[in-house]
Amino acid sequence: MTLLDRPEDPHKETEPYPRFTIVERGLMSLRFSDREGLWVASSAAQTEHFQPAGRHGRDRLLVTDELDSPLHEYLTALFSDVVSGPRPSFLSIDEIRRVLVARQFADLALGVLVSGAREAVVIVRGDLERTIVPWSWFRSSGTGTAPDFNDVAVTDAGLAIRLGKYEASMDAILYGFDRDYRARARQRQLETDVSFGAALRRLRLQKGVTREEFPGISQKEIARLERGEVVRPREATLRAIADKLGVEPGDIETY
Amino acid sequence: MPLQLPLPERLSNEGWKVKIYDNERLEPPHATVIRGNLAWRLNLRSRQFMDREPDPRDVPRELRDVLQVEHAELVRLWDRTHPGNPVTVAEDWL
Repeated sequence: MTLLDRPEDPHKETEPYPRFTIVERGLMSLRFSDREGLWVASSAAQTEHFQPAGRHGRDRLLVTDELDSPLHEYLTALFSDVVSGPRPSFLSIDEIRRVLVARQFADLALGVLVSGAREAVVIVRGDLERTIVPWSWFRSSGTGTAPDFNDVAVTDAGLAIRLGKYEASMDAILYGFDRDYRARARQRQLETDVSFGAALRRLRLQKGVTREEFPGISQKEIARLERGEVVRPREATLRAIADKLGVEPGDIETY
Repeated sequence: MPLQLPLPERLSNEGWKVKIYDNERLEPPHATVIRGNLAWRLNLRSRQFMDREPDPRDVPRELRDVLQVEHAELVRLWDRTHPGNPVTVAEDWL
């Protein structure tokens, strides 16, 4: 076994950084607190004779390679979660290692997969949680760059998703699809207008909806709400706004 | 294609990038300063860094100077990429 990143030391139980161990060839284990039990392998072959001793069903496995169905079933019996897929949909092993030691590891992308049948992009995050983003969310940019769902990869060391020549930041994706991330992002901001109006404006712009597009609500009324001239809209107005923006009424203020 | 600000060679060699992504949070308009898997967002209206983490002081002085000098170019790049929410705010929002 070869230890990477940090030498063994007498304080290893309290060492605040995750530690990687290479077991056999290229199969890495991560042994620290909330990231404990996450295994990464760069090929299907590396996993064939491997068992996480004494930890049946508790550890999780990421394989940056395609697994055939029998092997996937075998591994699913050993691990609580198995994620696999071909490169370049996943970062290289070295880049994955850098993501996993990052403080914000759960907010970085390790891989991205496309479901043509469901017209959705599945992003595998640093904690192996998956975030699903519909194709429709990836709108063409003002420069005319459109997403190409046949050519996907993670870029900028996990900070962005590339779809052909088009790039979307993980920050925008998680802000749109992960309520916990939104709450944390707002705490990180040095200054932010947390009013209902400002949140409505941020959400409306992000969804690409103009003020004219709210059924039964005038453009002027939306502008007044966004400027804070109306502190809180009526229930029916709030419901109509939320329906148009595709969120729950109570979620508007989280944006 | 994301628009990227050309940087002095020394900063590029150190892995620094400044990008405006095709898809990102639109409000407020901002540029993203990147190194490895760290990202700093620079508000293009206030010219201030937007987040406590990572610490804005970790962006080297040389790069902060570039961002100030190239502010007009960053605004132009943002407005090209995200014409629905230009840096200069519409009157009805003020």
